[in-house]
Amino acid sequence: MLFVCSLSTLWRTVLSSLFLLFIVGAFVPSAPAADSLTIYSGRSERLIKPVLDAFTATTGIQIQLLSSGTTELLNRLKAEGDRTSADLFITNDAGSLELARTAGLLRPLNMREVDRAIPSQFRAPDNAWVGLSGRFWIVVYNRTMVQPDQVSSLLDLGDPKWKDKIAIPNSGSEYLQAGVSVIRATYGDDKTRQFLQGIKANADNQVYQKSSQIVDAVAKGQVALGIVNHYYIYRHLATQPDAPIAALMPDQQEGGMGAIMNVAGVGIVKSTKHLDSAKLLVEFLVAQAGQRLFAELDKEYPLHQDVKADPALVERKNFRAALVPLTKLAELREPTLALIEQVGLR
Amino acid sequence: MVTTRHQFASPLQLLALASAGIILLPLGYVTAQALSADPVVWQRLWTTRIPELLFNTVSLAASVAVVTLILGVSTAWLITRVEIPGRRLWEGALVLPLAMPTYVLAYVYSYLLGFGGPAEHLWQLAAGPQARIFSPHSFWGATLVMALDTFPFVYLLSRSALLSMNVSFEEVARASGVSRFATLWRVTLPLMRPSIAAGLALVILYVVSDFGAVSLLRYQTLTYAVFQQMTGRSDNTAASILSLLLVVIALIFLITERWFRQRSRFYQTTGRYRAPERHRYGRLGTSAVISYLGLIVGAAFALPTILLIQWSLSPEALATIDNRFFGFVWNSAILAAGASTGGVLIGLPLAYLACRRPTLLNLSCLQAAYAGYVLPGPVAALAVLILFTTIAPVFYGSVLILIVAYVIHFLPAGLQSLEPALQQLSPNLEEVSRTLGLGMRDTWRRVTLPLVRNGFVVAWVLMFLQTMKELPATLLLRPVGFDTLAIRVWMEASEEYFQLAAPSALLIVVLSLPALALLVSKDWRAA
Repeated sequence: MLFVCSLSTLWRTVLSSLFLLFIVGAFVPSAPAADSLTIYSGRSERLIKPVLDAFTATTGIQIQLLSSGTTELLNRLKAEGDRTSADLFITNDAGSLELARTAGLLRPLNMREVDRAIPSQFRAPDNAWVGLSGRFWIVVYNRTMVQPDQVSSLLDLGDPKWKDKIAIPNSGSEYLQAGVSVIRATYGDDKTRQFLQGIKANADNQVYQKSSQIVDAVAKGQVALGIVNHYYIYRHLATQPDAPIAALMPDQQEGGMGAIMNVAGVGIVKSTKHLDSAKLLVEFLVAQAGQRLFAELDKEYPLHQDVKADPALVERKNFRAALVPLTKLAELREPTLALIEQVGLR
Repeated sequence: MVTTRHQFASPLQLLALASAGIILLPLGYVTAQALSADPVVWQRLWTTRIPELLFNTVSLAASVAVVTLILGVSTAWLITRVEIPGRRLWEGALVLPLAMPTYVLAYVYSYLLGFGGPAEHLWQLAAGPQARIFSPHSFWGATLVMALDTFPFVYLLSRSALLSMNVSFEEVARASGVSRFATLWRVTLPLMRPSIAAGLALVILYVVSDFGAVSLLRYQTLTYAVFQQMTGRSDNTAASILSLLLVVIALIFLITERWFRQRSRFYQTTGRYRAPERHRYGRLGTSAVISYLGLIVGAAFALPTILLIQWSLSPEALATIDNRFFGFVWNSAILAAGASTGGVLIGLPLAYLACRRPTLLNLSCLQAAYAGYVLPGPVAALAVLILFTTIAPVFYGSVLILIVAYVIHFLPAGLQSLEPALQQLSPNLEEVSRTLGLGMRDTWRRVTLPLVRNGFVVAWVLMFLQTMKELPATLLLRPVGFDTLAIRVWMEASEEYFQLAAPSALLIVVLSLPALALLVSKDWRAA
């Protein structure tokens, strides 16, 4: 029988060990080339790859991109520790970057280019992470179904009159978590809980994984209103100018909270072996050329003061942002998640 | 004799124990984490999410099981017992949906039946401009997609049973004056019972652990909730609690299924020596049968494929086909081949020992292997990840850990065909061979192996197909630069870029076809 030891099984064993060695050799990850960077990115590949391609075209440095969810990648970085192959961590949310910084995963940076280009409220105190582009969590509405004066605050969407008329992101979305954190910090837990219960009931089955799906649903008239990051609205309008949708900048009323702001940003992973190339990339992203790409391709608000946002957007100086500092998003997150879970958002 | 047995048994036994250990470790990790969770978390989940998730999961599994039972058994019976034109073509066509991942079918149907989609436009022509059809993002949408995608499991195993069944049982019944229908009910179906049960088990396990379709159709099941918890939360306590529930559901179900199978074990005393007689229907009957088969194959495969081809030929989609795209193809093929080969190697000792020496230990090892399938992809992935960082960090970030997760996850799919193959093989045949003077090795090579080869081939193919389509574990464990076709489909389809997702989806389908061809080829059917 096969398992009885004999000469030929011995041979077979030798051969299969060799084969196994070969396989193992193939499976152990090889060290990446010197002029190449590995990036864990929590931003949609569609939004970040063109910018990174521009970097490769200028510098010749190749990029290995792993696109996934922000929190998922943060968990992965934590689990991988010093063995990670990541050189940089790009996210769609400042709170996650701050969590990575406090977990000791990111490397403080001393770069004049960063200090000059990005205002200090949009980066960590030690520059372990740097904001790259601003986004606002606002309301998209269908112009044929809603008048803009029917909604003035994000919290209005919890009103029972919008039953079955709104679409919201799922509770794993970092935008939603950051947004709820800001609402909690402004109005307290009780009012936030009421709001969450309201949108849960109103949205019912209209809970989406991606913001672009929410904009689509509003454009098709499947729902009247949705909560999304502003640039999804303008990106939709850029490809389909006739879509009956518009952006509504909420909470601008007297004494209102202001629109909820967040930034997408980047941090250099502590254990990187390609520090110089990584710094080059950060420098590229905060410089005017890089910032212009975020403004033009992604329709975000650039953080560099000398770079203008896309003219289609509401001009930045014409509306107020909520006052909660970005670094606070990290410490607000755990109690926010507890509240979200308590309400039972999907 | 006794000594040889021992020599032979112990390494095999060790191998089986090791395999079961590898499979049980992740399960142990999840259980430990769930049980050590703060009771407050348990209580919060019980009052908020769990009732809804449990109900959704169980009711979806039940409705899909009913639909696949009807579709699978009826098509298998029609194919083997009725003479229709192009019978061999239909025979193969009914397996084609297996090449169609659930998330591809889900995204095609969310376009077809979606708000403002083609089906709604057609309906509005008939019923007025305000009319709405049922939303695909619902219980019925999920049932439709999952059933169309999984009924071939029941079909394949029922068909195998009908083909290898000794037709004399039926002939005796007919000769004794039992009507054709009563023969079907009282002889044929009971003989098929083990196969039907095995097929349904496969379907239900598949539904319960599916992530792709339910997430695209936004139907909340336990597995989807686990993935959401894992990707949206920094700690996995809630995810492991939900996973533990899943495992419990599965265990209850598997034990029931085993019990049924125990009660109906039939040994095949001879090979099938004669094809069963096939009925000939009139023109009307034949066209009814063909329309029925055509409707099923059309909805589950032809229509989605036509749409995928059309989308793939759009300029946006054609622009994405470059070297990068061929890299994804290579990644998918390598991963699937590695996982299915590993699965057969690990599954063989487990299945063999459980069939031939059904001691408590061996049966437990086998049952352990089944738990892996309902350990949802994301949780299997996380557990494997932690396991490797602790015991073998050198493999970290390599393809190997992904393959281990695949094997753990898909081994039951393989065992479902390895096990019946070994069960059908009467121990007498081996004993006769030994009595007639063949050594153990020759007996294995000339008697056992040829008789169980088909089961192996089916097992390998099933695991290859499932791995190629796998989504959540791949999402969580893929090394940098190791995106697969499935990942590409998911990334584009989840943002409703249907055209951009189409080339990868179409290729998954095309790459699965040769494997499917093997399934229906004469080669493996010749017993």
